[in-house]
Amino acid sequence: MAIPIEAQGLRKVYRSRWRGRSVAALDGLDLRVEPGEVFGLLGPNGAGKTTTVKILLGLTHPSAGEARLFGRPSSDPESRRRVGYLPEGHRFPGYLTARQTLSIFGRMSGMDRAALDRRAPALLERVRLSDWADVRVKKFSKGMTQRLGLAAALVHDPDVLLLDEPTDGVDPVGRREIRDLLQEEAARGKAILLNSHLLSEIERMCSRVAVLRAGRLAAEGSIEELTAGGSRYRLVASGVDERLLAAFRETGATIERVNGHFDLTARDVDHVNALVDRLRAGGGKLQELSPVRSSLEDVFVGLVRAGSGRGEGGVPA
Amino acid sequence: MRAFTASVQEVFREAAARWTLIAYFALSSLFILIFACAVNLDIVNGALAGAKLFGHSVDLGHRLTVDHLVLGFESGFSGFLYFLGTFLALFATAHLVPRLQEKGTIDLYLSRPVGRVPLLLSRYAGGLLLAAANLVYLIGAMWLIVVWKTRVLHPRFLLSGLVILFTFAALLAFAFLVGVVTSSTGVSLMATYALFFFGAALATHDRIAAAVSTELSARIIQGLYWALPKTAELLQATVALVAGEEAPERLARFDALGVYGSTAAFAIAALALASWLFSRKDF
Repeated sequence: MAIPIEAQGLRKVYRSRWRGRSVAALDGLDLRVEPGEVFGLLGPNGAGKTTTVKILLGLTHPSAGEARLFGRPSSDPESRRRVGYLPEGHRFPGYLTARQTLSIFGRMSGMDRAALDRRAPALLERVRLSDWADVRVKKFSKGMTQRLGLAAALVHDPDVLLLDEPTDGVDPVGRREIRDLLQEEAARGKAILLNSHLLSEIERMCSRVAVLRAGRLAAEGSIEELTAGGSRYRLVASGVDERLLAAFRETGATIERVNGHFDLTARDVDHVNALVDRLRAGGGKLQELSPVRSSLEDVFVGLVRAGSGRGEGGVPA
Repeated sequence: MRAFTASVQEVFREAAARWTLIAYFALSSLFILIFACAVNLDIVNGALAGAKLFGHSVDLGHRLTVDHLVLGFESGFSGFLYFLGTFLALFATAHLVPRLQEKGTIDLYLSRPVGRVPLLLSRYAGGLLLAAANLVYLIGAMWLIVVWKTRVLHPRFLLSGLVILFTFAALLAFAFLVGVVTSSTGVSLMATYALFFFGAALATHDRIAAAVSTELSARIIQGLYWALPKTAELLQATVALVAGEEAPERLARFDALGVYGSTAAFAIAALALASWLFSRKDF
């Protein structure tokens, strides 16, 4: 089976028309999303998230590299046959009703009227807009517009979903419903690419995450992999004096006293065990030793700060 | 094909929802109504005994028959409709590309399995159909009123709609080109109206070319004349088509192939360029 979403060496350079300056919004991005996967795309403003999505959809042309949906190049309109997209800040024509919106965009995705008549009411029910089916979109609140956007993205039952801030403006109950809906779609084997600033949403929904920084991939992996502390530990022990701390540091470990416990960083598990042996040999008593897990926010902020010298909004090409 | 028809239907729905369609047809209806009330003919035994326009008697002379009067009126009036039909249609359709290209809207359309060129052409087809519907209404109603008031059937008047639609098609292609480049309805309208008048002014290209000081300027004037739509000649063609054999020689004498051919070439080139630019654009 062809890979739902794939990008290789994606590069996009925006050139200023008059000044001749150019900025690389994307700089050699590789990406792959498998069926049934909810993949989160993270990054500060201008990191290249939206550009990536737009290239995947053929809205923007890449300067170099390839983007494919189900093996078809993104320049081919047929590549979007099985794709549903919810753009950020989308604007449905205000004169359409919710039902008409689904009808127009369903037909543009190749659906016939019979299929639409079956699908639209069920979908409006699913996003809690049944009572508003025949009301014009211009009367909708932001949350309702967002839920309608999700219904429009799902109308032709696509196998790939590209969602830009799907819970933007939605109340907490609606957010949970959208999360549940997306988890259901993923369980049905759909590949979902989620672009969001809400790290808690990403943490709850995504099985894998990529962090973009200045158009490049700064990190990629499962939430567990990214948030695992690696070699960071919380150590609670008695009988630890400055001499013992100095001995720890001599082995290459870093150790700091913090609010009644120690923040310990070691090379690996063997190194930790050696340090515990040293602690006991030096007369100390171990009370607690636990790995420190970072939040996704810690990881995100750490990665963004690490590359802050490159600036926000892409790099000069 | 489903996507194409959905997009064409969307043009009509948008025009109706934004009052453009209603205003378009309301203005045409108002015009038809004024005309129906303003013209009063007194016909006795099939011959014209008198005529009144806005309540004032019109001197018809001694040799004017009803047939001649209708023919003269319809051919003259087709010239007026040429301006009215073209201007109203442009006003009602110039927004089609700029609105499509608005941020937050274009993403919704282009993320569907529809090519950019078919999407643009579906909007163009929608615009043409909208203008055609109004022309059928406007010209058809005027013709029926004339038939009702005079009992004279003169179907050539209906053909004037074809030339008006042809002119509009060329101008709409240019409006689409400007719309793709600028994403502005106002600029599209202004540029297209400017083209209309500039094209009309170039009807005197021979005189302008003779008056300019350099050979290069004269060549540019001649080149522009052949490159741009011939709006003045198309007006002449509209009137001549309605008048038929009765048309004055100065109206009937024009290079039909050159006028229609070069205007069609302009329309095709403008639409092709608009399509090319639209397909290359980053959104």
